Amino acid sequence: MFTTLDISTSGLIAQRTNLDTIAGNIAMQDVTRDENGNPNPYRRRVALFAPGDPSRGQNAPGVHVAKVVEDSTPFGLRWEPGHVDAIKDGKEKGYVRVSNVDVHTEMVNAMVAARAYEANVTVAEMAKKMAATTISLLI
Amino acid sequence: MPDPIAMSGIVPPVAATPAAQAAPAAAPAAGKSFQSVLLESLDEVNRLQAEADEGVQRLMTGQTDNVAEVLAAVNKAGIAFDLLMEIRNKLVESYKEIEQMQV
Repeated sequence: MFTTLDISTSGLIAQRTNLDTIAGNIAMQDVTRDENGNPNPYRRRVALFAPGDPSRGQNAPGVHVAKVVEDSTPFGLRWEPGHVDAIKDGKEKGYVRVSNVDVHTEMVNAMVAARAYEANVTVAEMAKKMAATTISLLI
Repeated sequence: MPDPIAMSGIVPPVAATPAAQAAPAAAPAAGKSFQSVLLESLDEVNRLQAEADEGVQRLMTGQTDNVAEVLAAVNKAGIAFDLLMEIRNKLVESYKEIEQMQV
């Protein structure tokens, strides 16, 4: 009876994880070093969607984020010789390796995720209305 | 006093008409009684309500931030309760109808 609601809920949860990932990308776009302080910029992350809802059982219908993978696009270079994490020698001397996050892409992805979330809410609402219509047959 | 829910127990079986005999009607003994179905669904509705309550509590106390799941639980509980309410109304209605029957 509640399959539609369960599927929509799995969509909501997955889209929220997706938006979390995007939020992380936007927040960390200027990170040029890792947690140990070595010059190693933040790598963009992408939520990988997969069919099925393992939180509800093995063959439960729905969607889930299988894992969050790193984007292998090469890092960018920015000319900033005074920066602490600037490359010290070699032919890229004076450049700072920057994250491969493109804020415009992330912004659009965030909008897509928000729209997808809305779509799932609408479907859940419709499922609720359908159940209410069926119940109204009894009146 | 007979259990008021077990309607099939009070109402004597209607003498089968020739038309009803021709059509193979579902035998009442084969399936579950209405009473047991009703009681089972009552338990289910109660379980869904408890689940929704627990979800809201966990959300309020900050043990979870999974709004979607709690929302779904609350919606499910609402729908299940609505259905139960309608079935109850129908049951009371039919009881009243039988009560008003001219004997």
